[in-house]
Amino acid sequence: MNTIVVAQLQRQFQDYMVSLYQQGYLDNQFTELRKLQDEGSPDFVAEVVSLFFDDCAKLINDMSISLERPDHVDFKQVDSGVHQLKGSSSSVGARRVKNVCIAFKECCDVQNREGCLRCLQQVDYEYKMLKTKLQDLFNLEQQILQAGGTIPQVDIN
Amino acid sequence: MTMTIEQEIEVLDQFPVGMRVLAVDDDQTCLRILQTLLHRCQYHVTTTNQAQTALELLRENKNKFDLVISDVDMPDMDGFKLLELVGLEMDLPVIMLSAHSDPKYVMKGVKHGACDYLLKPVRIEELKNIWQHVVRKSKLKKNKSSVSNGPGNSDKANNNRKRKEQYEEEEEEERGNENDDPTAQKKPRVLWTHELHNKFLAAVDHLGVEKAVPKKILDLMNVDKLTRENVASHLQKFRVALKKVSDEANQQANRVAIDSHLMQMTSHKGLGGFYHHRAIPVGSGQFHGGATMMRHFPSNRNLGRVNSLAGGMFQSSFPRNHNDGGNILQGLPLPPLEELQINKAFQSFDSQQNSLMVAPNNLLLLDGHPQSSSPSLNPGFSPHFETSNNKQRLEHWSNTVLSTNMPQSNVHSKPDSLEWTAFCDSATPLINPNMDTSSTSFCRNTDFGSSNAAQTDFFHPLQMNQQHANNWGPMPTEAQVFRNCDPKEGLHMASDAGSLDDIVNSLMTQEQSPTDFSEGGWVMV
Repeated sequence: MNTIVVAQLQRQFQDYMVSLYQQGYLDNQFTELRKLQDEGSPDFVAEVVSLFFDDCAKLINDMSISLERPDHVDFKQVDSGVHQLKGSSSSVGARRVKNVCIAFKECCDVQNREGCLRCLQQVDYEYKMLKTKLQDLFNLEQQILQAGGTIPQVDIN
Repeated sequence: MTMTIEQEIEVLDQFPVGMRVLAVDDDQTCLRILQTLLHRCQYHVTTTNQAQTALELLRENKNKFDLVISDVDMPDMDGFKLLELVGLEMDLPVIMLSAHSDPKYVMKGVKHGACDYLLKPVRIEELKNIWQHVVRKSKLKKNKSSVSNGPGNSDKANNNRKRKEQYEEEEEEERGNENDDPTAQKKPRVLWTHELHNKFLAAVDHLGVEKAVPKKILDLMNVDKLTRENVASHLQKFRVALKKVSDEANQQANRVAIDSHLMQMTSHKGLGGFYHHRAIPVGSGQFHGGATMMRHFPSNRNLGRVNSLAGGMFQSSFPRNHNDGGNILQGLPLPPLEELQINKAFQSFDSQQNSLMVAPNNLLLLDGHPQSSSPSLNPGFSPHFETSNNKQRLEHWSNTVLSTNMPQSNVHSKPDSLEWTAFCDSATPLINPNMDTSSTSFCRNTDFGSSNAAQTDFFHPLQMNQQHANNWGPMPTEAQVFRNCDPKEGLHMASDAGSLDDIVNSLMTQEQSPTDFSEGGWVMV
């Protein structure tokens, strides 16, 4: 094991993690999820976030269909979708996504189709962005493990 | 499943490890997280993302799960609906989960029977304590089944046991033992309201005290859901109270004291309605201490007159020996007492809950210091003799206090053995050996029925308190429920908290938001 490489990777990992929090991509809930990961469920976080991204894709798709025709918008469906998205994003700690959902809900409440479309677009952007970031993070983790090191506990505060 | 006590204790020892949870959420992300969290709490977890499946699983075998956690918003079935069904069919504790923090939803959850309402994202700390709902629920179930013919009990055996329990209960009350530990008694509480008690009195009156047996009284009263045992225990207490009253009734001074006390008490809002049924010579205190009062009874002659008048008025309600007590027990005012020129400065007590506490305190204090022939009558502590208002006040009383958690009995039970003779003879200090001056705090519930066996609590304060607790009880986790909502402090009342509504309304300023709080009397303070 190349300790220097490991140390470097670990450092990189740590910095990257902190930056994600600082930029508001992640919040405390993500930390909680990480705590739940252990030898018993070593891929727990990765599993959960991938479920989340799948959910996002599906919900966004359904909502875009509902919002498609300007004369025939099923706001109820959209509302339900936003609600679910809000729930799951808050559960995984996807802060930015959650925040868009809050604005999204407001547009939905007043049946503002334009607003909804904008929010939909934004939520789509945010989740994809987060997906990329987390992917990078997991890659770093893998590299550390492959280099024989352990994933450092990152203290975000 | 019925288990022996030992078996149950065993299970509880390991509990909550291995508690079997059914988790329902259509959101797979949340479900996965929830599953892991629950595992981390060492529960046994089954998951499904469909409410319908959940129901099927539950129906398959009721005993397979201890607790259900369910999301509120699900496509195939409304979470509230599921909640209701689970509650009805399986009587399992259900915890609601939602991303909605709107109190409306929380309220809805509670109304549909949820034990708790958690907001997403759920934290592990919250899940670590959910097992309490299982314990609570099973405890309630046990209590219920011991009262009625519960499942798994043969009717006959249960009937026998019930009868035996009744008999035992009555026996104990005959002996004047107050071992009514609320947790042991396990009977549903009956709130003896002013109205109810009047019916009782009317029935007893009609039958004659000697002949008044619970069954007949019950029949005459014709009140739904009132059981023979309720009447029986009430009657016991009543009889004991009567007896004490009649003992003291021979003392002329009693009359005055009782009446003045009665007047004083009736001018209070917020006292237990039972007080007017007890000729509680707590009033002795005032006379005891008050030289001013004494002055108004310059001679026995006056007292005698009062007595006879009082006696005259008492005829109707109770038989023979209990003349004097009877009327008081009905809480009727006694006009002749106006002659006593007792101060009517009692208004302050009407509106102040606190004064209620104060006055009896003072009474107790007075009694505790017999040598105070000095008129240390408490200021503001004057019986109120406006007879026209008494009845009204009595009603206030019974309506309000009955359901409050106020330890009322102390004040009234103690003076039973007050030496009334001493009263007339003003030279002799009044000593009430039974007066427990240590419990001067009217608010303290400590002496309820437990201490002086000689004392009688006419109505059972613990019972009332328990009732009170029960009324409030169903929302054990209201704190939790509110935690994540707008922190509105308020009383969370079940929609069936009938008389509690009155109390709370009268006690607190009520601000109701125009939203959906029409049911259940949300009180925001």
